Amino acid sequence: MQNTAAAYLSLLRMSSVYFHIGKYFLLMVSTFSKPEKRKIYWKLIIQEVDKIGLQSLGIVALLSLFMGAVVTLQTAANIDSGWIPRWTIGYTTRQTMILEFSSTIVCLILSGKVGGNIASEIGTMRITEQIDAMEIMGINSASYLILPKIVAALFIFPFMVILSMFIGISAGAFVGYTAGVISLNDFEYGLQYDFEMWQVSYSVIKVFFFAFIITSVSAFHGFYTSGGPREVGASSTRAVVYSMVLILVTNYILTQLLLL
Amino acid sequence: MIEVKNISKSFGGHQVLKNVSVEFHPGKVNFIIGRSGSGKSVLTKCIVGLMEVDQGEIFFDNRNFTVLDRWDRKDIRQEMGMLFQGSALFSSLNVEENILFPLQMFSSMSKSEMLDRVNVCLKRVNLEGKNKLYPSELSGGMQKRTGIARAIAMNPRYLFCDEPNSGLDPQTAIVIDNLIREITYEFKSTTVVISHDMNSVLETGDHINFIYQGELSWRGNKHEILHSENEALNNFVFPSKFMQQIREKLRG
Repeated sequence: MQNTAAAYLSLLRMSSVYFHIGKYFLLMVSTFSKPEKRKIYWKLIIQEVDKIGLQSLGIVALLSLFMGAVVTLQTAANIDSGWIPRWTIGYTTRQTMILEFSSTIVCLILSGKVGGNIASEIGTMRITEQIDAMEIMGINSASYLILPKIVAALFIFPFMVILSMFIGISAGAFVGYTAGVISLNDFEYGLQYDFEMWQVSYSVIKVFFFAFIITSVSAFHGFYTSGGPREVGASSTRAVVYSMVLILVTNYILTQLLLL
Repeated sequence: MIEVKNISKSFGGHQVLKNVSVEFHPGKVNFIIGRSGSGKSVLTKCIVGLMEVDQGEIFFDNRNFTVLDRWDRKDIRQEMGMLFQGSALFSSLNVEENILFPLQMFSSMSKSEMLDRVNVCLKRVNLEGKNKLYPSELSGGMQKRTGIARAIAMNPRYLFCDEPNSGLDPQTAIVIDNLIREITYEFKSTTVVISHDMNSVLETGDHINFIYQGELSWRGNKHEILHSENEALNNFVFPSKFMQQIREKLRG
């Protein structure tokens, strides 16, 4: 009897998961359907580039600055052996920033800032009937609210990630030099050692996926909010958690596919 | 005319609407009244397409709304205007932008024509010069009036008002009632108003539909309410002894 109940519950949970996945894909179909007026969408995309991208530049720059500096110092602190050349510090900083930090970690942080913001904005519009008002007017609310955010993130996130790489590596070089752990020449040698442009492309490819995940998953949670302010908060939290988990899983899959 | 034919709607195992059939007449203020939880908001949401019905049909001037898909409903929806209970103004847009919104999305007017239209709508609801204020800077009554201005921007054939007087003082409520009635007669729109406010119902209602426990329990006009023998309706409209005494006096 207990086994039957447990099996039934697990089936119910599974069907609920499939239900939400289906709902997400239906929302995406609605989002990517033909926009009402392209001119208005361009204006919205520019606004979103500012809101999602440019207003997040500060936090991305700050994080990259300190992470680049810390990675340099920690690598220096962990190189005890005289057999390991000093330029390894520059090499390690470059690899860390390009392969993981500037793409994955920055996007994890952006999922908190941007994702939470998107979910709460759309969720508030839902509970205050602003989305219903759009629907009554005959506007495809999913497309109007979500598409500009996705397009803006796909456009601006790669630039932010490249900027993060630049700031992180520059901060590493500066701190390494001023702390006296590595000369600029050694750092530069490490930076150029065995460098493959593909690694930057790999990072940018990942960011396209992450940008889509952050905006679409957060929008999904906001769009289907029901209740009051408490539920908006819960949607926002769910949006961040789901985005982060999906980013981590996608990161693993893409790394396996693209690097090995 | 809007015709609702035998619609039913359930949530889980709970049936909220039971085979409801009702007609809303053009150029008239049609009220839907009923107690909280009686199904009147669900009925309205089904009519405007925010909820799908389980069974039944809804016709907008002989166009069957229920069989149309989302994209084909667009044409009918562009003929609708709705005033929401909480106004549902776009909080990031000012008054002018709120009213411009449907015009920008669907009309082929030039920018100056659109602005002229906005000003006409604002004048109609006595909000001239308030173009640049944001919803948070408006009083409840002004928000409702902006909501009406936005709803009439596209000259709607069908106007829906969900509890237009909720949260308003009696004097402001009368202003909103009069506005809805004047706009209905002026634009010859089919107006559907959901309300609890019996003052509004008796003041402005041309046709009144009473929903009780998910069913259309009574229909008539404001004069017929006084003489109705429907117990549920009488309990709703004249809930207190004082109101019952008034009814007896009015009945003569």
